[in-house]
Amino acid sequence: MKNFLNKFWKSYSIAVVVLTVGLVLSFLTPRFLKFDNLLNVMTNASLVAIVGLGMTLAIASGNFDLSVGSTAAFAGCIAFSLVPHIGVPASILAGVIAGAVVGLINGLIITELRVPAFIATLGMFTIVRGAALMYTDGKDLTLFGQTGFKVLSGEYLLGIPTPILLAIGIAILLGFMVSQTRFGRHILALGSNFPAAQRSGVPTSRIIWGIFSIVGATAALSGMILSSQVLTANARLATGLELSAIAVVVLGGTALAGGQATMVGTLLGALLIAMINNGLNLLNVPIFYQELTVGVLMLGALAIKMSKGFKLSTLLRRQA
Amino acid sequence: MIMTKQSKITASANLDWDVLWERYGIAMIVLIGWLAAYFFVPKFSNPDNMLNVIRQSAFVGCAAVGMTFAIISGTFDLSIGSTLALSAYLGLMVVAKTQSIPLAMLTSILTGMAVGVVNGLLITRVKIPAFITTLGMLFIVRGLSFIISKGGEPIRYSGKAFTWWGNGSLFGIPTPFLIFILCALAGWFILTHTSFGRYVFSIGTNSNAAKVAGVPVDKTTTWIFIVVGLFTGISAFLIGSRLYSAGPGLEPGYELNVIAAVVLGGTRLKGGRGSMLGAVAACLLYAIMGNVLNLLHADAFFQRVAVGLVLLLALSIEGIRQRLFERASRRVLPTAKSESNS
Repeated sequence: MKNFLNKFWKSYSIAVVVLTVGLVLSFLTPRFLKFDNLLNVMTNASLVAIVGLGMTLAIASGNFDLSVGSTAAFAGCIAFSLVPHIGVPASILAGVIAGAVVGLINGLIITELRVPAFIATLGMFTIVRGAALMYTDGKDLTLFGQTGFKVLSGEYLLGIPTPILLAIGIAILLGFMVSQTRFGRHILALGSNFPAAQRSGVPTSRIIWGIFSIVGATAALSGMILSSQVLTANARLATGLELSAIAVVVLGGTALAGGQATMVGTLLGALLIAMINNGLNLLNVPIFYQELTVGVLMLGALAIKMSKGFKLSTLLRRQA
Repeated sequence: MIMTKQSKITASANLDWDVLWERYGIAMIVLIGWLAAYFFVPKFSNPDNMLNVIRQSAFVGCAAVGMTFAIISGTFDLSIGSTLALSAYLGLMVVAKTQSIPLAMLTSILTGMAVGVVNGLLITRVKIPAFITTLGMLFIVRGLSFIISKGGEPIRYSGKAFTWWGNGSLFGIPTPFLIFILCALAGWFILTHTSFGRYVFSIGTNSNAAKVAGVPVDKTTTWIFIVVGLFTGISAFLIGSRLYSAGPGLEPGYELNVIAAVVLGGTRLKGGRGSMLGAVAACLLYAIMGNVLNLLHADAFFQRVAVGLVLLLALSIEGIRQRLFERASRRVLPTAKSESNS
């Protein structure tokens, strides 16, 4: 029983925290539990969660992608600029492809030029942002009146906003991929011991290309959703998204050292941050306390994880 | 015996190249870049313009001196962008209230060091990885500076004596650059001539071995983050003085620019190797590039692309060389193939 509790706490601590925070918030402000508000929270969570899910793969393989914020802005701009020419579905596809291509370039720089992922994506972080600014000339791209693009942020299926569906769908897809496919196992192998994986014949280069392409595609989706909410894309969109995405993944329980991934954790991590931000808004706490909370939360979560003495069972024993 | 001798010879021949490139490569590039700009870019050779270039290099440079310590020891500090904003804000607040410049300088530096202490203790005592700690602190410190500034209202102060530190000159040399060079000299001395410096290198090379050998790893790590905070505080003071103002929105992405400069200077992200000279040269290179692109009326947006490209180019040279070397050795010694693959 004790073992079970420990194991449970280890894998579901984030769920417990999310539930607790939810309970506290619903006591503090009755508006929190309104259906519309909950949907709103989940939509906001989905924005970061989608790119966080891709980032989970990168972190599980022992890498980071610092270029996702720039990629998101870039893809949003590409998609918006193409809408008048090729229509909405094709331009969304083009945006995703643009993101995947940026990711593939990241991967190629890492494997072919042997630049560490941190530096490669750091370089791409400025390059892609600059490219987006050049492409749009620093101006806003708006699609007023053409609400077709709202398909990415509206409520089309059962009244549930598309971002939520996308986040859940991608989580299931990537979760299945990590646990059930060879590609997924290879990702984890890269993260737990790169030389060993290489020696046992894992095609490391191809795996890295795959990972970063997926990260790029998810970043592109996040960027396009963000743009579609206001029907405006610009190259300054999603600054700082890379660090928020990493924060969400880490909060969710994926180890920075690599070798392990939890998609549900990432979803819950995003949900937790969105809930707290929403709660602070409802409680009329000034908006600038939100960043502070995110930081404290992250450090708190990691501190609990790191302190070996903290186990749920010891907590229970003390009470008994 | 013969084999080892031979391999030693080839190894040292390669090493010379490596060491030369690593130590002086970036400095050579800066020199060549400077000369090229001097002769080919109109108006670059104007003394005022060149002084401006070295002035610009200082604002990233001072923080890069501190970051070099962190990266040599195998970690880095993502919180310095936020620390910069907070330090600059508090420094300006103090100088606006008291008119005392030493007090303002002290405030900026102590703020940076305080953030460093928190970083260091979280990393060494609570055992949170440095990446997460400093990422968390990035959010926390930024939040703090928004709270202190009551929602992001920038603070202004333009007393002559204060703005001299960022905009003035001493003996014809821009003040910030003088301070930058002083910082770099101090950093170089600490790194190469003190036991603390040797500890920094040994932790970066192999922190377990360092611990076994009796290096006070935790204490040194804490001090490294304090040093990072100290130099960030100096940067903050100079930037606040340069701009006459500071707000919590100061310099987003500053931390990544500084890390990029240090890494471009030849310091290995994995730790254990690096130099202060490289960091100084890299900051100069970025300043030259920005200036030349401005003079050529390049698109402001293109400048970002260029900065990223230079970083990637500089850092891929080593990888490409390594690949060429492997290919060559494969051709000479077919047996080396299995080794180079592994």
